[in-house]
Amino acid sequence: MTPRMKLESGDVHVSWAPDRKEKAGVAASVRGLSKRFKKARVLEDVSFDVAEGESLVLLGASGSGKTTILRIMAGLEQPDTGSVILHGKDVTDLPARERGVGVIFQAYALFPRMTVEKNIAYGLKIRHRPRKERRETVDRLIELVQLQQHRKKYPWQLSGGQQQRVAIARTLAYKPQVLLFDEPFGALDAQTRVHLRREIRALLRQVKVPSVFITHDQEEALELGDRIAVLNNGNLEQVGTPDEVYNHPATEYVATFLGAANLLLGVVTRGSVEIGTARLPAEKETRRFRDGQSVKLVFRPEDVCLSPDANLIEGCRRLANGVIEEVSFVGSYERLNVRLDLAHRQQSGDLAPVYQVTINTPERMTGVPIMATRPKPEANATKYKPGDRVAVGLTSFSVLPNYTLARQR
Amino acid sequence: MKITAIRHVRGFDVARPVSIGVMLGIMLPLVFLPLLSIFIYGTSKGLGTFWSSLIAPEAIFALKLSMVTSFWATVFNVIFGLFAAYVLSRYDFWGRNAVIVTISLPTAIPTAVAGFALLLLWGPYGTLGRLLNPQGAQLMFTPYAIILANIFVTFPLAFGVIKPVFDTMSQSLEEASATIGATRWQTFWHVTLPSLRGAIVSGALLTFARAVGEFGSTILVSGNLALRTQTAPLYIFAKFNEGQIEAANAIAIVLALLSFVIFSVLFFARDWLEFEAREA
Repeated sequence: MTPRMKLESGDVHVSWAPDRKEKAGVAASVRGLSKRFKKARVLEDVSFDVAEGESLVLLGASGSGKTTILRIMAGLEQPDTGSVILHGKDVTDLPARERGVGVIFQAYALFPRMTVEKNIAYGLKIRHRPRKERRETVDRLIELVQLQQHRKKYPWQLSGGQQQRVAIARTLAYKPQVLLFDEPFGALDAQTRVHLRREIRALLRQVKVPSVFITHDQEEALELGDRIAVLNNGNLEQVGTPDEVYNHPATEYVATFLGAANLLLGVVTRGSVEIGTARLPAEKETRRFRDGQSVKLVFRPEDVCLSPDANLIEGCRRLANGVIEEVSFVGSYERLNVRLDLAHRQQSGDLAPVYQVTINTPERMTGVPIMATRPKPEANATKYKPGDRVAVGLTSFSVLPNYTLARQR
Repeated sequence: MKITAIRHVRGFDVARPVSIGVMLGIMLPLVFLPLLSIFIYGTSKGLGTFWSSLIAPEAIFALKLSMVTSFWATVFNVIFGLFAAYVLSRYDFWGRNAVIVTISLPTAIPTAVAGFALLLLWGPYGTLGRLLNPQGAQLMFTPYAIILANIFVTFPLAFGVIKPVFDTMSQSLEEASATIGATRWQTFWHVTLPSLRGAIVSGALLTFARAVGEFGSTILVSGNLALRTQTAPLYIFAKFNEGQIEAANAIAIVLALLSFVIFSVLFFARDWLEFEAREA
């Protein structure tokens, strides 16, 4: 078992952030970054801020431009347009070594010929700091990352997690303005990954250095980020807290990239969304749309509620009737494929549902498939089997404008 | 390195002793016997004769001259090879590939032609030698000419060893150093150079071994003057022509042992030299 980083609340607090006057405020920001590689557009007018002490996760698929943003912030790449501002100072034209940012590279990039101690002391050594200061800083940092018994070892003698801690300590030594993590857990196995990201989260709370992570792993993003910035093809789709981007995705891409999502096309009609013949009351959600506007209804599988009769639970808005098509256990929860009947006019709420779709006869399989998940207790309380008829409702959903249709009009 | 072979038969595999025997049998007349004969004839008239031909002033001088000229050629080629490898792996420019090919060319040119070319350039009536002459300076037929010839013929060796290491070196090490705040020079000194240690040592040993044995170009540019510009291989050739086989052989033994030591170091120190490969 690798020793854990020290997280006890009784620890003496040492801030590894540079001493600054203003306590809160913006630590780092990028303004209107654009970048092209030959003909390919990599970044398109990307802007965001990182607050003091905050951790921001840049989330995107490979090729979304997240690595390029990180390299531009570090000074390893130049943007075509736009600027990088660190603590109020425009550093766009400064070379990497004058920016004072800490980069934790994907493979850590520890110096192979230097011991753990020497790796950590490197930043102070090249700054020609006195020997005494160097030794004290190294001692404190080695204790912070719990590598006391490894200080004389070389990088190749350490595990991946230990190497990462050395890499973090090496940057903290010179009090970086901001820490940049390039896919920090990419090279580790799944278990270590979960364990390490909790450690890093706790460590960052302790050292209070603003950080930017890049990752393609949505689970990692939700856990590591105070805020998440979702990138798609060089465009920033949404920046928000994990709760905001997960529960209130601003775009279809954000909805589908962060976890599973069901998507139905509909039209806004007098305070509700009309999907086929179904009508979902959505006074609040449709307020920003006008009547007749084409929209997309987005909802997560766990926000679907089912009932064998017409009585849906409190707070669950009736969407349509449906037929259970498939039931499968996926470890911690149950997954159901449901076919919605959206082609036939529903009766009002308290009447028994009329089912027009079946899963048995192909010619009548006209329903729209959606996915629902239920936690185990609920799955055990009411069991469903394929062919069961259910009323389907939603506890939470988002209504997004349907730009594809809007353009056609 | 672990040595293994796939099992093809049950029990005793006759292929093993046979293949080893064939290999050694072929090497015997081609490599082992010629080497052995140097030692046999070199000491055939007794160790006393061997020793006295070894400590003959001309012999000592020739060995020393070979060491010194090879040493300086090695120093130059390692430093330049390092520099050229850095430039050619970090910067792209028009004609870069042409330069890489040209650097490797001296190994393909017959060494006698190399010496001839140097004479044409630096000789008393050569293109550049003419410019030296009015000042009474003379480059050819001096130890400097030998260093020049050694530099030319061993030019690609150190470069050839160092360049691939540069190419495969992870760029992120240097990037990490830069983001930590190091200047270009600090990064080179603390990060890049230590990773090249193995390549530099093996490049230097190869260059030195090759330079000590150089004959073709040296005989043309040095003038082959005993006690002035006669290197060890030239001494061997001269003594052989004079019929003093023992004297020639004594020095040959020294040179053979020297290269044996150098290549042993290269072979057995490989693990130490390739230390950085574990990280990459």
